[in-house]
Amino acid sequence: MRATRHVLRLALLTVAAALFAAPGLAKNIDLATVPPRDSVQLTIYNSEDLTLVRETRSLTLKKGINRIQYSWAGTLIDPTSVDIRVTEKEDQIEILDTTFPGDKPQHLIWNIESKIEGQVRFQITYFTSGITWSADYVVIADPKETAMSFDGYVQIYNRSGEDYENAQVRLVVGVVNLVEKIQDLARRGIQVPAPQTAGYARMRRQVMKEAVADFDRRDEGKGRAPEIVKEGLSEYFIYTIEGEQTVPHDWSKRMLSFSGRQVKFDILYRLRPHEYGPRPVRFFLLQNDEEHKLGTTPLPDGLVRTFRDNGRDGLAFLGQQSIRYVPIKEDIELNVGTDDELVCESKRLGVERFNFKFHPVHNYVIGWDERQRWSEEFRNHKDKPVRLEVRRVIDGDVDFKAEVAKLHDYHTVEYTFDVKPGTRFDWHYEYVVHNDANARQSRIMLKR
Amino acid sequence: MTLLGGHNHVDFSWSNTAIDKGTIQFRIVEMPLRPKGQDDPASVVRPDGKVEMIRVITVAYPPGENALVWDVYAERPFAARIRISYLVANLNRSFSYRAVAENDESTLTLREYIRLDNLSGEEFGTSGIWAGFGNYFHREVGLNEAKQMLISKFTEVPIEKTYTFNWWTCPPVPNEPDQRYVEMRYVLVNDEKHNMGQFPLQFGKVRIFQKDGHGGEAFIGEDWGRFTPIDDEMKLYLGLARDAVVNRKIAKNVRHRVNGNLFNQELVIQYTIENFKSSDLVLDIVEDTNRLRDQFGGRKNHDAEWELLRAGTSPPGNRTERKDSTTLECHIPLAAAPKGDGKVEPVVVTLHIMLKNEW
Repeated sequence: MRATRHVLRLALLTVAAALFAAPGLAKNIDLATVPPRDSVQLTIYNSEDLTLVRETRSLTLKKGINRIQYSWAGTLIDPTSVDIRVTEKEDQIEILDTTFPGDKPQHLIWNIESKIEGQVRFQITYFTSGITWSADYVVIADPKETAMSFDGYVQIYNRSGEDYENAQVRLVVGVVNLVEKIQDLARRGIQVPAPQTAGYARMRRQVMKEAVADFDRRDEGKGRAPEIVKEGLSEYFIYTIEGEQTVPHDWSKRMLSFSGRQVKFDILYRLRPHEYGPRPVRFFLLQNDEEHKLGTTPLPDGLVRTFRDNGRDGLAFLGQQSIRYVPIKEDIELNVGTDDELVCESKRLGVERFNFKFHPVHNYVIGWDERQRWSEEFRNHKDKPVRLEVRRVIDGDVDFKAEVAKLHDYHTVEYTFDVKPGTRFDWHYEYVVHNDANARQSRIMLKR
Repeated sequence: MTLLGGHNHVDFSWSNTAIDKGTIQFRIVEMPLRPKGQDDPASVVRPDGKVEMIRVITVAYPPGENALVWDVYAERPFAARIRISYLVANLNRSFSYRAVAENDESTLTLREYIRLDNLSGEEFGTSGIWAGFGNYFHREVGLNEAKQMLISKFTEVPIEKTYTFNWWTCPPVPNEPDQRYVEMRYVLVNDEKHNMGQFPLQFGKVRIFQKDGHGGEAFIGEDWGRFTPIDDEMKLYLGLARDAVVNRKIAKNVRHRVNGNLFNQELVIQYTIENFKSSDLVLDIVEDTNRLRDQFGGRKNHDAEWELLRAGTSPPGNRTERKDSTTLECHIPLAAAPKGDGKVEPVVVTLHIMLKNEW
């Protein structure tokens, strides 16, 4: 297995350190460096800049005390998190202590006592920052807007300063608590990785291609995207990406997480001036469930880009929005913006004031009621019916008179209309606001 | 693209252009399909039971470069047509109109253009261009090139020429404290009856010309045409009518106490109108009752409650309508100025308004 470039650099440094350090040591104690990884697993959290790295390495031990150097210059590893464990022959090997030399940052020495000689597998774990992942989604509605494809992707970003080749990758959806940021712990007293030059980037790209070629040669390829296995764990959800991934420093890699085809959805127009502005906004509505060919996993927070197949062999971009975590069976609402073919005009026809109350001593107005009359016209220029849901916020002590309205909350009325294709629909409503001394509540009361 | 059997690494890179990396889509135009086999995992099987023979495995983004590498797997060699879609910045569209009115201003011809400004840093060979409505074009769009195309042409569009007097918004006439200029507009209705109504009219500049009756055209002004849905009106401001003169005065201003500090305010507004034009016209008088109330009843936060007691015209023949809770409109037909030595007879319009329940 080809070692990563960073590991090579680490090895050279540590060998040099060993040469200089050796004369000062006891004669029966050697200083050895950690050999390249046998395997590595990355568990990447998306709620924090946090990745748990678990790597296995085979160390050749001799009987007695073994001093093993481990260093991570140029990376964002949290030194307080580095841990080593022997995974075989535990009763014959003991980790005596860990030393962080004061003269060399990003460097430690393990003192390991062994009763045996030979190769032993160890597991080294640590936290690093700089490796993150995100989810994003691509939605393509069919030209008639009755069904869509709903593809979820995960993208891994490696800015950790370290190349990770052939790593098993797990992605964690969920919120963890940290009392200190890993990147702060990692950067205490050290230099962060310098930006890379273009030539260096080209070299890395070549490395990547070679790595991808390696990937092809392995059996995991099989001409399909690495399957992403999803499983729940306590309050978390873990995506395990099948096979192994190579993500060099500064690269990112995007993979298909799931693919929904022929996903049915409903269209609802919403007029909510207080939320979306004065024009009706169109929503694609669906659920993250089996009925909608989804529901195999919660949907992590991510950006949704929505397109429509324009029927001319091209795509029309409808919009993009961030969605928050969507549990299984939860609703998904995609805002695809206003629609020029649905027009809504609202007009206040008049006001009347009555039921005046006067100050008992000074005889000036201290309370009154005001009736407002409104008309709304909806014009549907589309060739299919439109369902429109309207919500209006009216503050104060309000009596709202309309047959079709219902309360959404204490100061919001809601009503829904179906407008046939190519038609217009008018309706009127009125309400009375009790003002100042006439106001007894702050809520809407529906009057039939 | 010629794809080899197995994994293909497809590089896609760009420079000096602002492509949104996250929006790049790689799609096979005519996807080769085969029936599902026994070894096929569920993840590659479509709902129709077929398996796509070309699949994008991963996308890798190299550092510091505007590039990506698709790992595309083909089950056997293919010559595949692929479509790469992405969003790019600085390729802008705008709309403009050219309206040519007939000499008698009864109809006009409206042309709607789309203009494409390509500052994206990328050349586009023969490209399909579509605004989402109207004509579909195939054009080449070069670097830093702007291209204007006719989306649609509407002929014989009936127009209404309006004359509006709004004391509160029309510009004042110098040294005439009781006058405001009368504003002129063309009103186009975006519906089938007016030979339009195929799609909403987008926001854009409208340059207006009028046929001069001698085979030429005269530029008579321009205005921003607002976004106009189907069935709505597009009003185009033409300028000031100097041959229609309106004097406005408050003939009566009386406060009636109701109780305590509650009162009604009675107003009579009188307009004296003279039409010096050689043609008839209809003048629209607009009053804003909130502003009236603020002036005569004191500035308030609530809308004025008002009642039109009477609208009189001498000679008679007006039509008055309540447009909404704060707007009163009065439409006055005015005869053309008499020919020869005949004198223009002023028309007097009186609006009797009661502002109610103020304090």
